[in-house]
Amino acid sequence: MTTSLQSVEKALIVEAPAAETIKLETQDLSFYYGDHKSLHEVSIPFADKAVTALIGPSGCGKSTLLRALNRIYNLYPGHRAEGQIILDGKDILARGADIAGLRTKVGMVFQKPTPFPMSIYDNVAFGVRLYENISKAELDNRVEEALRRAALWDEVKDKLKRPGTGLSGGQQQRLCVARGVAVRPEVLLLDEPASALDPISTAKLEETITQLKQDHTIVIVTHNMGQAARISDYTAFMYLGRLVEFGRTEQVFTTPRAKRTQDYVTGRFG
Amino acid sequence: MDIKRISRTLANTVFIGFCFLVTFIALAALAAILWSLIGQGFKGIDLNVFTKDTPAPGSTGGLRNAILGSLMLCGFAMLGAAVVGVLAGTWLSEYGKESPYARVVRFMNDVLLSAPSILVGLFVYELMVRPLHGFSGFAGAVALALIAAPVVTRATEDVLNLQPTALREAGIALGAPRWVTIRKVIWRSAGGGLLTGLMLAFARISGETAPLLFTALNNQFFNWNMTKPMSNLPVVIFNYALTPYDDWRRLAWVGALLITVAVLAVNTLVRAISSEGDK
Amino acid sequence: MTDAVSDLSRAIPKGTSLDTPFRLLCGAAATLLLVALGGVLVSLAIGGWPAFHKFGFAFFTTSHWNPVTDVYGAAGPIVGTIVSAILALAMSLPVAFGVAVFLTEFCPPILRKPIGVAVELLAGVPSIVYGMWGLFVFAPFFAEKVQIPLMSAAPPGSIWETLTSGIPNGSGVLSASIILAIMILPYMAAMFRVLFHNTPPPLRESAYALGATPLEVVMSVTLPHVRRSAVGAVMLGLGRALGETMAVTFIIGNAHGFPKSLFDSGSTIASTIANEFAEATSDMHTSALVALGFVLFLITFSVLAIARALLGSAKEV
Repeated sequence: MTTSLQSVEKALIVEAPAAETIKLETQDLSFYYGDHKSLHEVSIPFADKAVTALIGPSGCGKSTLLRALNRIYNLYPGHRAEGQIILDGKDILARGADIAGLRTKVGMVFQKPTPFPMSIYDNVAFGVRLYENISKAELDNRVEEALRRAALWDEVKDKLKRPGTGLSGGQQQRLCVARGVAVRPEVLLLDEPASALDPISTAKLEETITQLKQDHTIVIVTHNMGQAARISDYTAFMYLGRLVEFGRTEQVFTTPRAKRTQDYVTGRFG
Repeated sequence: MDIKRISRTLANTVFIGFCFLVTFIALAALAAILWSLIGQGFKGIDLNVFTKDTPAPGSTGGLRNAILGSLMLCGFAMLGAAVVGVLAGTWLSEYGKESPYARVVRFMNDVLLSAPSILVGLFVYELMVRPLHGFSGFAGAVALALIAAPVVTRATEDVLNLQPTALREAGIALGAPRWVTIRKVIWRSAGGGLLTGLMLAFARISGETAPLLFTALNNQFFNWNMTKPMSNLPVVIFNYALTPYDDWRRLAWVGALLITVAVLAVNTLVRAISSEGDK
Repeated sequence: MTDAVSDLSRAIPKGTSLDTPFRLLCGAAATLLLVALGGVLVSLAIGGWPAFHKFGFAFFTTSHWNPVTDVYGAAGPIVGTIVSAILALAMSLPVAFGVAVFLTEFCPPILRKPIGVAVELLAGVPSIVYGMWGLFVFAPFFAEKVQIPLMSAAPPGSIWETLTSGIPNGSGVLSASIILAIMILPYMAAMFRVLFHNTPPPLRESAYALGATPLEVVMSVTLPHVRRSAVGAVMLGLGRALGETMAVTFIIGNAHGFPKSLFDSGSTIASTIANEFAEATSDMHTSALVALGFVLFLITFSVLAIARALLGSAKEV
């Protein structure tokens, strides 16, 4: 056990994206819940306009890593990150970093759909209204644009005033995607966004993600190997709070270098 | 072995009999109370009750001033209690959480929740009536608000704690300031529960007598002026029940019936709302 | 994105500047509750100080309460408060327990909900209703059917005669305790019911599976499981009985001395304050009443604090 743990200490970066395409990057990122260290010096590059999947067994730290990327953990006293998270060349963990600005650049969609208790329209407009004073017509455009990006427009265009909580689970999740992209973020964090959805909704959401990649840097945490293989360009395999292997998705799934990665992607443990 | 079994069965039979008996006694006693209340109350109810003010002994009259006075006192009290209670409950749930100070506040709020209401009346007397040299509707409303606020606080904290964490995080992740998330997302999402808490608090204070005895006092006439003593149902009931005049005793029963019906109606409504929410 | 609005105009979301004020406002509201409780204590201590100062320890040990001569000894109401509350609890506790067991173990399912709901609704009936019922319905009945027979049956010179002496008009310490007991009954029964209800079913089921009778299940599984909270619930009931004003004032008889028997008139702290405060004749009279309030505060605060500590996070009904 000790030897195998030591063998994963040095992560295998098989094929990193070209330096000039890196949008977001963690460097020796560690994370603590109180005294418990749950991420150990993780360094991952996230390529611009590409999907990076974070995979690994439960408790491996993939969600923790995702939640560090927009500093949502700030809500909880005792949670803290060490190391660097570099977005567009600036360390967002640095003292005095602009958190509100960070959250406009980095959107997030959660495991369970989180529609706000208001109309579909107001859900999507929520973030926009926080930042911009724009005319009704302009806001209408923004809402439509966001709903189209989330592939939800055709389904809801006639009922924008209905409560968002009345939609089906899959529609709710795409509504949350629309709400996230309406503020025009550059990075989208998706935390197991399809885990509460049925297969058809999942397929639609995956399609949406693939389209969103044209404009956004996407980081997705998923339990579903097939999903990671289908939609991501890069894959990071994590285990026990450490990065084990990172590379292009085809490589990680077809010719994994680390034994543990191979065992996991072929379903031998999980 | 057999004796053991017989004694066990016997003890159990006695126990079952006891449970049935006391339940019957309890329900009978409570039914008797409601029965007299309904019987005596309905006997005395007529249109005058709602259109005339409290009478001098021997003349006809009603409870108009007391009903309106009670509504005003409870209304003003609920305004104060809603603001303080919802904010305090929000603080406990969203900001204070398990910090030592929040624990102290939560504990003291729970004590205040069941503190004798007459002591709250004494406090408000010392705080407002004595320094301002006079009983007033405002003093009564403050006393009632102090009784309602802990109820609202507790209910608010409980219902906010039930809101999913992800909803808070979703607001924050969009960059919304904490308080905007609370106001526009969390409060709205908890709306039904917040309303329930307010209604429970209203039911709680609408029958309170003791704290009004020396704050709002009473007033034989109707007035809108909250700085003057103000008529209210509980104190009228108290005063009239203890007199030898039949008219006044009749009105006391009517008043008691009105309050009880109001309280039961609100509590039933709350029950209906919350079971609706469970579905 | 190419058409993104410049970073400067987006950096600070609307309302950010109010974030801290809002947090402070909420904190202030929470603090206000603390201040209110502290204010009750301090105002009662200050208001009662002249009486404590003048009568000293005699305030607690003598039962001579006389507004005419302005001499106040509060032993009567203090003892009356404690005695009536404990009597009420002693009567109410077994009944409330029995009702809760009935509802969780024996009640036919069709009746379970209606009776349970009725009990909870009755817990909300204003206490003045119980007081009025006590005065107009219970007292005449009690005098005729209980007091007079008991008094005439008591052998002269026995302890019974002492206990049952007094005027058989239906009011008195025992009557007040009975009304109090009826008043706190739905409250305690509802709390017990919630506690029993929250006992994990597998616990009870495994005891039944071993062949235990309902009595044995309740006594050796359910009760031990909820022990702490049950004691807390009892203390809450006691706190209510101690501080109750209206259910008592109508029927306790409002005499200031020590009650000499169960049927004798007495008073509690709350009933004395309710009766006399608005018409207090002198500053010392007022002060003595506030001092009584201070004593009641200390008694109920201790009881309630213990109750809350025992109940922990269990919800009140």
